Amino acid sequence: MRYTPAILIGRGVRVLARWRKPGGGSAVPGLVVNTIAPGFLAHALNGFPQGLVIVSGSSGKSTTTKMLVAALRAHGLTVFTNSSTANIRQGLTSALLERASVTGRVAGDIAVLEMDEGHGAAIAPTLTPRVVALTNVMVDQIDRFHDSDMVAGLLRKIALRSTGVVVINADDAYLADLGGELDSEATGVTVERYGVTSDVLAANPRGLGYTRTAAERLPAGDGLLVTEVSGRSARFALEGVSYPVALPARGTHYAVDAATAVATARAALGSRFDAAVAIEAVGTIPPVFGRGEIVTVNGHEIEFVLVQNPASFQLNVDSLEPSTEQILIAIGSDVRDPSYFWPVDTSSLGHVLIASGSKAHDIALQLVYDDVTVDRIEPDVGVALDAFLALPKPAHGMKTIIFSADGMRRTRAHLGLATNAEEPV
Amino acid sequence: MTSVTIVSLLPELLGNNGDAANARVLAQRARWSGADASIVPVRTRADLPDRVDAVVIGTGTDSDLVAARDILLTMATELREWLTGGVPILAVGTGWELLSWGIELTDSTVEGLGLVPGHAVPRVERATGDLVVASKFGRLIGFENHARDYVGAEASPLGRVESGIGNGSAASGQEGVVMGEFFGTHLHGPVLARNPGLADHLVRLMLDRIGVEYVAGAQSVLVDDIARAARNQIAVRLERAIEA
Ligand SMILES: [Zn+2]
Repeated sequence: MRYTPAILIGRGVRVLARWRKPGGGSAVPGLVVNTIAPGFLAHALNGFPQGLVIVSGSSGKSTTTKMLVAALRAHGLTVFTNSSTANIRQGLTSALLERASVTGRVAGDIAVLEMDEGHGAAIAPTLTPRVVALTNVMVDQIDRFHDSDMVAGLLRKIALRSTGVVVINADDAYLADLGGELDSEATGVTVERYGVTSDVLAANPRGLGYTRTAAERLPAGDGLLVTEVSGRSARFALEGVSYPVALPARGTHYAVDAATAVATARAALGSRFDAAVAIEAVGTIPPVFGRGEIVTVNGHEIEFVLVQNPASFQLNVDSLEPSTEQILIAIGSDVRDPSYFWPVDTSSLGHVLIASGSKAHDIALQLVYDDVTVDRIEPDVGVALDAFLALPKPAHGMKTIIFSADGMRRTRAHLGLATNAEEPV
Repeated sequence: MTSVTIVSLLPELLGNNGDAANARVLAQRARWSGADASIVPVRTRADLPDRVDAVVIGTGTDSDLVAARDILLTMATELREWLTGGVPILAVGTGWELLSWGIELTDSTVEGLGLVPGHAVPRVERATGDLVVASKFGRLIGFENHARDYVGAEASPLGRVESGIGNGSAASGQEGVVMGEFFGTHLHGPVLARNPGLADHLVRLMLDRIGVEYVAGAQSVLVDDIARAARNQIAVRLERAIEA
């Protein structure tokens, strides 16, 4: 009953916030509860009967989390998850409040949370996750995560909180090292691994985007292997059985996200795990917004492409249909220092109609040094979008908008697409 | 046709913030002026080309410091020849630190190659943010992100810090080091794209050395307008005067 007063107050604030701003998924109730009852968040998250699962890492967290939730639900579990990417303490608390009983118990068998490496490491000391899954180490938001050593250190901190299993990507050298460390120390924690075969790796000449790729591939039988990727289908090998896998979108990174989700579902479910059920479920999730999603706006089909780090930027540039003739790039204030995009080779874009966002000039500078023609630089995303949408349908390819998270938010807001109040900052 | 070769040293190991892209900037500006230019990524001594007209080296993570230093040591002779032979060298962050006397870490020291004066010492707090430097190549604006100060080379800085940390408090408002045609700086990422004044100085040095006069190409002028707008945006945010 310790948290009853705080929960009631938080709910009161929520009602007020909704009344002031209809439809607003406000973080204010969370802020209030965290202030008057700072222990509520950890208490609620640690209180699920089948424990807490944390998914962290630089890239692929959102997709992996959605896939994992689908896999667990397919096994009949009731799952609490931060379905928006509410990485923020307040947002998470607000989401928990919605479902908490007055005594602080939140409905659900198990909790699955996506956590950004910084916020995750910050709240990790109060949490006791049963399973921690780590995707990879890349550096994004360079002003927050100074370098890959720092990111690896944050993920290590989260992993060390696990009371049961740590699921790691064996192809990421930083995580492979962490797995070895956990194996050799008598922590009582089990390490489960997933990875791709050398053939799958070889099919990606630029690699999979990890800061450091492990020298060796995971041996067959040591975990879950992605053995084949072709468009939207893949194959996994697990305990000597080969499974066909349908992916929500094309690309090796989706296959790796799916492998992470299936390996993590296996760790969370133990003997109840059914590989066929989990694999079928991961293929059913809709594409995550901005990850190759196609949206119709004013009769125009637009492909949205979110870039969050150099690896995803490169991958998306490489996978655009050749001679896509209408491209808008919007890089916003979330990319405080655009330097770290410069390793990306953008030359294959050829021609970009508009560079936009508060970092419009910086991204344009990179493009022109790559011999890409940039017709217009328009920092105002709304103005840029209106001009872009006013153009006739392209003869080649689809209208394509490449954006950073901030560019995405502004695009959604301007076009009146479903907004997501609790995006990571 | 004039042809130049630009070496990008350890582009992956020391390319954290897109620093290796500075080689692309030098090559493109040389091309826009009518020269032929190629970039040679050098990962081991075996990759070294016969001819080197300019060298770019960037910053890496601390866990790779010793590995990077050990590879650079195998090329110490060549590095010394470039320095004494007037080959322009741009060194950013840890790449610069590794060519100095050395890097003091909190509990150990990584000895540098000793090719440029000064050494790196730990800072209390990491320096992360915009850095503005008054230099004879114009006002340089970029981003800094480093855990160490640089001391012992106060006689020949790249410029004076107008905003940010630069070489650190011990170095009384200085940023970078210049020794002959060597330029060390904390301005990371594509400092040369953002600051064409410094870029053109390096291109001019590179072409002068082979007896070719550098005249910036028409494309440079267009591109530099974009760079100026990018610099001005930061100047506005820092409440500093903008460039016309
Ligand atoms: Zn955040």
